[in-house]
Formats: sequence, structure tokens, C-alpha cells
Amino acid sequence: MGLVMKKERKIYQYLPLVLAFIVLPLLLWFLSDFPERSLQMNALSLLTILAFSLLLAQFFLSRTNRDMVKKVKMSNVLKIHKFIGYVFIGIIMLHPFFILVPKFLDDAVSPKDAFIRVITSFDNIGLVLGLVAYSAMLVIMITSFFRFKLHMKYRTWRTFHAYLTTIFIVAAIWHAITLGRHSNGAFTLFYVITGASGIFFLIRMYVLKPSKKPIKNV
Amino acid sequence: MAIESINGCIGCEECIKSCPTDVIRLDQKTKKAIITFPEDCQICHLCRLYCPVDAITITPEKSIPVIVSWG
Amino acid sequence: MSSSKENGKISRRSFIALAGGAAGAMALASMGMPMGWAENNPEIDVDALGLDKFNTDVLVIGSGMAGLFAAVKAHDAGAKVMMVSKGRLGSSGQTPFAKGIFAFDPEKEELSIDEFVAKISRSAMGSNNEAYTRQMAEHSLDRVNELKSWGFFDSAIYNKSFSKPINERNIPVHERIVVTHLIKEDEKIVGAAGFSVDEQKVLIYEAKSVILCTGAGGFKPNGFPIGDLTHDGTIMAYDIGAKVTGKEWNDGHPGRAENPAACYDGWGDMFENKPSTVSVEVHHDLGVDLNYMVYASGNSVTMGRPGEGDMNAVSGGPFTPEEFKRQETGRRPGPQSDEGRPPRGEGKPPGGGKPPKDGGGGPPGMSGTPVGGSSAGMAIHKSEGLVPINERCESNIPGLYAAGDALGSYMSGGIYTQIGSSLAGSAVQGGVAGEAAAKYSKTVGSVSISDAKIKDVEEEILAPLKREAGYSPAWVTQTLQGIMIPNFILYVKKENLMKGALAYIEELRDQHMGHLRAANLHDLRLAHETRNMIVSAEMKLRASLMRKESRCSHYRLDYPEMDDENWRAWINIYKGEDGTMQLEKQPFGQWPNQGAEIV
Ligand SMILES: Cc1cc2nc3c(=O)[nH]c(=O)nc-3n(C[C@H](O)[C@H](O)[C@H](O)COP(=O)(O)OP(=O)(O)OC[C@H]3O[C@@H](n4cnc5c(N)ncnc54)[C@H](O)[C@@H]3O)c2cc1C
Ligand code: HEM
Ligand code: SF4
Ligand code: SF4
Repeated sequence: MGLVMKKERKIYQYLPLVLAFIVLPLLLWFLSDFPERSLQMNALSLLTILAFSLLLAQFFLSRTNRDMVKKVKMSNVLKIHKFIGYVFIGIIMLHPFFILVPKFLDDAVSPKDAFIRVITSFDNIGLVLGLVAYSAMLVIMITSFFRFKLHMKYRTWRTFHAYLTTIFIVAAIWHAITLGRHSNGAFTLFYVITGASGIFFLIRMYVLKPSKKPIKNV
Repeated sequence: MAIESINGCIGCEECIKSCPTDVIRLDQKTKKAIITFPEDCQICHLCRLYCPVDAITITPEKSIPVIVSWG
Repeated sequence: MSSSKENGKISRRSFIALAGGAAGAMALASMGMPMGWAENNPEIDVDALGLDKFNTDVLVIGSGMAGLFAAVKAHDAGAKVMMVSKGRLGSSGQTPFAKGIFAFDPEKEELSIDEFVAKISRSAMGSNNEAYTRQMAEHSLDRVNELKSWGFFDSAIYNKSFSKPINERNIPVHERIVVTHLIKEDEKIVGAAGFSVDEQKVLIYEAKSVILCTGAGGFKPNGFPIGDLTHDGTIMAYDIGAKVTGKEWNDGHPGRAENPAACYDGWGDMFENKPSTVSVEVHHDLGVDLNYMVYASGNSVTMGRPGEGDMNAVSGGPFTPEEFKRQETGRRPGPQSDEGRPPRGEGKPPGGGKPPKDGGGGPPGMSGTPVGGSSAGMAIHKSEGLVPINERCESNIPGLYAAGDALGSYMSGGIYTQIGSSLAGSAVQGGVAGEAAAKYSKTVGSVSISDAKIKDVEEEILAPLKREAGYSPAWVTQTLQGIMIPNFILYVKKENLMKGALAYIEELRDQHMGHLRAANLHDLRLAHETRNMIVSAEMKLRASLMRKESRCSHYRLDYPEMDDENWRAWINIYKGEDGTMQLEKQPFGQWPNQGAEIV
């Protein structure tokens, strides 16, 4: 009985995050009046946006979120952090291709030509930032996956991870705001606020108050 | 209202070049396509077909007076 | 804006409003008028406009199917070529929307070329030029095979495949340049001039010969994608003394009552289909019969499902030769397009690709209630344009050639005959004109346009930007549409009504044409287009008044019969010494003024 209660309480700990990073974007999506599009394209866009939103949530699913880490075991937080990281980075990695889906379905611009067009539109700052974010994201993912093979001190790795994440998130948010077809005022605000508070948490931990009492890594 | 909105534009200018009636222009600041002369849109969808990221939404209605011969 | 200025303008405004009222319900009823006359507030500095000059052997104006082959073949014949177009290569004019192209393959066809030409002539009631009909059939397969090798049949959009041969040959292409003037010195062509809609620039092209591939045009009607075509080439050429023909014929495409302006929707999903080839299938199509039917029955026929209307319920009207009467089985009457749409139940559309969305086989717009005038201001493809003096697409002005929809070749006559031949004809004629122009340009020494001439032309091009006040081109266009589109003016022609319309058009010509204003380069383009539409409207009315008979797509209620005694002739229009419009007859089967037989 007590065990179940405990578990429930633990899940309850995640509720604010679920509300902020899943329910809220969904709500914003359905309350906005976006131009009509096919179901599949809407589904893919929504998936991209949720994936991005969950990547933003990563700031709060880490050591920076001391309150939570206190209540939930760090190992659990990390499990979620890793899961979201690998799965949703995967989705984001695919999103430039989602955009090309309509080009597979008609006989106009070929998907190949469209892709080349997309990744060579260097005039557009939003796109350049997308490429920057993409590269940063790849490095983040690879350095996480091969963390133990990198022979880095854990601390160094963590700092590296955090800084790279900051660059990534800033570029990605900027990218999503300038390019995103669904980046209206509400989503812009959402990205900026969540991103800014995430970075604030990070800075607070690394710069302002280096944590005196490190939580044991698992 | 004919060509209605552009969302998710990467500023490649394909639509601008492909529109026969010069409806779309490039916003020099944002480097994105903007609907500039919608009253001249002939609802032919060429811009949409040329857009690599399917950013253009077009509706069949036209808000300016439409003159027909009869009917 | 100061109130005194505002006051000053009121009298002017109310004067215009009154004048508009006098123009009558005819013009006004159909529109929520934007303000006609107003002060001009240019957004650009006209005096800072630059000028660029280019020199070439052959200048190709237009980048549709005709322009493509004109440029390629002129280059291959050894000429230095430049292409200039109002729009994009393969994405302007009518070419982007045509999906069925005729290829006469002697191996596969049952008819010989002679029989094919004879059949076209029967359908066209003699109004076709057999030399051009034959030429189209003879060369069509070669052009189609070239198109195939460039990837034309692999995509629904044509810029990529058109760019291939042009890039391979390094032919310079200037897009989004509105050509407004052809320039003639010493009785021969020396070039053309226009302006860019993007850069603040006037462009002068010195050329030994010019090929007009500027397509046809219309009154910017709703429901047919010719909003960028206003017979510019024809009018430019007319201005320098070229002869023009075919203005009495009519394309009778209907649109749909529901969203009549939506070209794309009216054609099902055809614009998204890849093109394909079509073989021999001769009709007598898309004249004015549907218009007549509606006219005769008081606009009350219900145009419900395809096949429901009954043409036989209305007697009289435009005549279709017995041989070409369509089987009425399960098919609605009325105009059929040449655009690759089969009668119902004939299976695969000749245009290839998927059958139309609505399942019906009627022409576009034939599902739901149709409305008329969707292609108003356009004649049958290839019937209107410059008068050729031989089968090499040459006009009466040395060095000036035309091809495709810009040439009044009468390849098909005053009616649509062979499905898909419009696109094929543009390709074939482009090639023929390209070779002829290249050959001609070798006989000409270097050309240059005098500074004085350039100054005059520049002045004319920029005039609408410099006016302190004037009519908005959009408003004048709407007024013109109000005169030329309703009341079956061009579809069921009557002397009195046409004279009435002509009076209004002359009014536009004399009182509005010289007062068009433009605040930016987009407006400037509209101003020049509007002017061309006014002149075209006058041509259409005058030619229609002159042809006192009915034949093919020209139907006169007051002269319903075909008159072979007087009217086995085409009508040519040219500018007289005094600047007025002159009309003359040219007998069917003969080249102009020479009495030389065509075949
Ligand atoms: C909806 C639709 C469907 C059709 N379907 C078929 C079909 O299935 N089969 C078929 O055979 N035919 C079809 N046609 C007809 C066919 O498209 C035309 O006959 C043919 O494409 C004409 O080609 P063109 O090169 O002569 O002229 P266009 O393609 O009209 O090209 C004209 C060119 O001139 C340029 N231009 C015009 N004015 C100026 C200026 N002032 N300065 C510079 N450039 C200028 C334009 O930008 C354009 O590039 C269809 C037409 C339409 C509208
Ligand atoms: C190669 C790199 C990238 C390219 C070419 C690219 C391309 C694009 C394009 C063209 C759009 C606008 C089209 C649309 O919204 O449908 C877009 C939107 C978006 N991108 Fe990217 N992107 C890249 C990298 C990234 C990265 C790394 C992220 C973030 C983690 C990201 C997140 C987003 C988001 C959230 C949107 C908004 C989606 C919407 O509003 O529907 N992108 N991207
Ligand atoms: S639908 Fe056609 S006319 Fe309208 S903006 Fe697009 S290309 Fe231009
Ligand atoms: S084609 Fe599409 S992506 Fe390119 S400029 Fe136009 S709207 Fe933007």
C-alpha cells in the first residue's frame, strides 16, 4: 500500500512538467487557427513541436531541477532524460524530411530537389540556425552516447554537455520561431519562456551557485 | 481570398519567380516570401507547386469583385 | 493629406463618379468599384532609374513552349541568342497549364498527313492555314522526342526540363522583364525595350531579329490562367506596323459558378499532373455553343450533372459540321476543350494521367453550374496574332518573327480541332521561327538603337510613374471587363451591342489610356497591360463587326449563316497612316497581299 502511494506521489512529481511541456503545447496547437492541412502533415508537425518541447523539458529533467531530484531518484530522472534525449532528438533529426513528405505525394518538385533547396538556402538566417542547431544536436547526441569512450572527466563532460546544450537550444528556438509554420505569438512565447528559464536554471547551477553538495551519480 | 498565407517559408524565392502575375515578393528584412499583390492572384497554384516546403495556403475564394459573362 | 487638397479633389471625384454613372449599369452593376482617379504617390524615385543595354543576334521574347524552342533552335543554327520574359521559364503564360501534347507518329496513325490536314480543314470550315497545319503535324514528333530527352514528361512543373537545354547552351535568360516596345529603324527590326519588375531598371535590347513568343492574352478574366497575358506582343508589333489577325474568334471556356476565379479548382487536379502525349483526334470544339444555349434559353438552363443539359432543346445557334458532331451518349453538350479531356465514357483522358476529380468527362468547370466568359478576350489558340507572310513565321516587318500563340498561323483555324495541337504547334513554330530568325540575322550587319530613340522609349515606358494623378490600372481593367465580358458581347454577337461596347472602349482609349498611373513597378506592369487590353478590345469588336457571317467560333445572331461567297477570308488589322485601326480581308489559302497560294 505504502509502496503504491509512494509511486503515485513520484509520478505526481512529473505532473507540472507534463502539463508544461505536453499539455500546454497541445493546448496552444488546438486553440490556434492554423491554415488547414492534411491530417498526416498536421500529425508530423505536432510530433516535431512536441519533440522540441520535450527537448526543452530536458532542462528540468536534470540535475538543475534540484527540487525534483530531491523527491525523485536521480537515476529515474536520468532514465527519462536519456529516453527523451535519444528518441526525440531522433524525431527532430527527421523533421527536415517530414517537411518534404508532400513532395513525395505530388509530381511537382522532386523530394531530392526540394531537399537540396532547403539545405542550401543560406540566405535565410532561420535555416542557418537550423543547421547550426542540427550540428550541435548531433554532437550532443554522439558525445552522450560515447561518453565513456571519450575519456573525459565526468565534470568536464557535463560542463561541455551543458554549454553545447545552451548553444543548441538558443539556435533551435531562434530557428523554430523564424521558420516554424506554427510559430505564432503563443508558441513563440512558449519557446522563449521555457528556453529562457531552462538556461537560467543551468546558469544558476553552473555560474551562480556551484552546487556544494553533489548528488551522487548512478 | 485566393493566396491566403505563407507559413514555414525558407525564403528560397521559388514561388516569387514562378508566380505568373507577380503576387509574391521577398521581404528584404525577414528574407521570407510575402503576399504583396493578392488582388492579382489567379488561383493557379503554381507557387504552391514550386514551393519546396509546401508553405503556401491557397483558397478558391476571391474577395475582389469577380466579373463573369453570365450565370 | 491637407483638407484643402481633399476639397480640391472632390469635384474631380464627383465628376468621375458622374462619368462612371453615364458609363451605365453595364459597366457598374457588376462591380464594387475601387477608386478610379486619384493622386499618384510613387514609391520609387523615377529619375534614379537605371538603364541597361544588351546586344544579341536573336532576341526571343517569352519563355513558354514557343520561346523554349525558338531559343534552342536559333542557338543551334549558330546565332547568339537571348531570352527575355515577363515571367519564369516554363512557369508563365499558358504553357504551365497544358498537359496534353500532340505527336503525329506516322508509324502508328491510321491517317496519313494529307488525310489529317484535310480533316482539320473540314472541321475548320476552311479557316485554317494548311501550310501551318501540315508543318505542325510533320514536326510534332521530333519536338516531343526532344522534350522527352529533357525530362519534360517527368514532372508536372516545367521549369526544370525547360532549363536543361537552355543552360546546356548557356543562353542568357532574363526573367520578370516586361517588354513594352519593339523598336524599328529604317523599316526593319532593331530590338526591343522594357523594364524589370524587381530592379529599378529600363532594359534595352539591340537585336538583329526578334521572335515574339509572347503567347495570346485576354481581359484578365476569372477562371482561366491567363492573368499575365494581355496580347502584349501583338500590340507592340501592331504599334510598329505589323499586321495582326484573328481577333473575331473566341475561346468559349466556361468557368464554374462556385468560386469562378479559381482556375486551379476549375480544372480538377489537372495542373498537378505530368504531361503526356496525344494522338490523332480531330474535333470541332469549344466554340460558342454553350453560350448560345444559355442565351437562347434565357439563362435559366440548369447545368446540373454532366449529360443533363440537352443541346437539342435549343434550335439554331452555331453550326457544327455533321462529321464532327459529338455522340450524345452520356455526355453533356457544350464546348469541349482541346486540353485533353475526353467525352465521358471514353476511358483514359488523352491528356493522360488521372481522370478528373469529379469523375465527369466534361471539360473543366463542367461539374456544377457553369458560368461564361472565363477566358474572355482570348481567341482560339493560333488563330490570333501576327500575320505570317510565309510558312517560316515571318511577319511583314523584316526581322520580326512570331511563334506559338503569338502568331496568327491559323494552324487550327477558327475552332479547336486536334486535341493537344496547341502545345505541339507552339513547339514546332518556335523551332521554325528560331531557325529562320538565325538565318535572317546572318544577313544583317550590326544593329544599334539611337540614343534619341532610347530616350523616347524610356519616356513612354515610365510615363505612368511620372503622372501626378491618374486612373488606377485595376479600375480601368474592371471597367473594361464590365464592358467586354457580360451580355454575351463576344459570344452571341449583335451589331448594335457591339457598337455600343465599341463606343465605351473608344472612350477608355481616348480618355483613360493616357492617364494610367503607377506607384511602383508592379503597377507599371499593370498599366502597360491595361493599355494593351484596351487596344485588343477595340480589335476584337472591330473584327467581329466586320465579319458579317457566322463560322466556327465566331457567331453573329444577326448573320447566323456561313457566307462562303464573301467570307472565305481572314481579317487582318493594322495601324493606318493616321494612327487609326485599319481592317482588310485576306483570302483563305493565300499569303497576304501576294495572291500566292498557301499549299
Ligand atoms: C488551362 C489550360 C490548359 C491547356 N491545355 C492544353 C493542352 O492540354 N494541350 C494543348 O496543346 N494546349 C493546351 N493549352 C494551350 C497551350 O497552353 C498554349 O497554346 C501554349 O502553351 C502556348 O505556348 P506559347 O509558348 O505560344 O505561349 P505561352 O505559354 O502563353 O507563353 C507566353 C510567354 O510570353 C511571355 N510574355 C508575355 N508578354 C510578355 C511581355 N510583355 N514581355 C515579356 N514576356 C512576355 C510570358 O511570360 C510567357 O513566358 C492549355 C491552355 C490553358 C490555359
Ligand atoms: C538541418 C537542419 C534543419 C533544417 C533544414 C530545418 C528545417 C526546418 C524548416 C524548413 C522548418 C519550417 C517548416 C515547418 O515548420 O514545417 C522548420 C521548423 C522547425 N524546426 Fe527545424 N530544421 C533543422 C533543424 C532543427 C533543429 C535542430 C530543431 C530543434 C531541435 C528544429 C526544430 C524545429 C521546430 C520546432 C520547427 C517548428 C515546427 C512548426 O512550427 O511546425 N529544427 N525546420
Ligand atoms: S496561385 Fe498562382 S497567381 Fe496566385 S500567387 Fe500563386 S502562382 Fe501567383
Ligand atoms: S517557395 Fe516556399 S519556401 Fe520558397 S520563398 Fe516561396 S513560400 Fe518560401
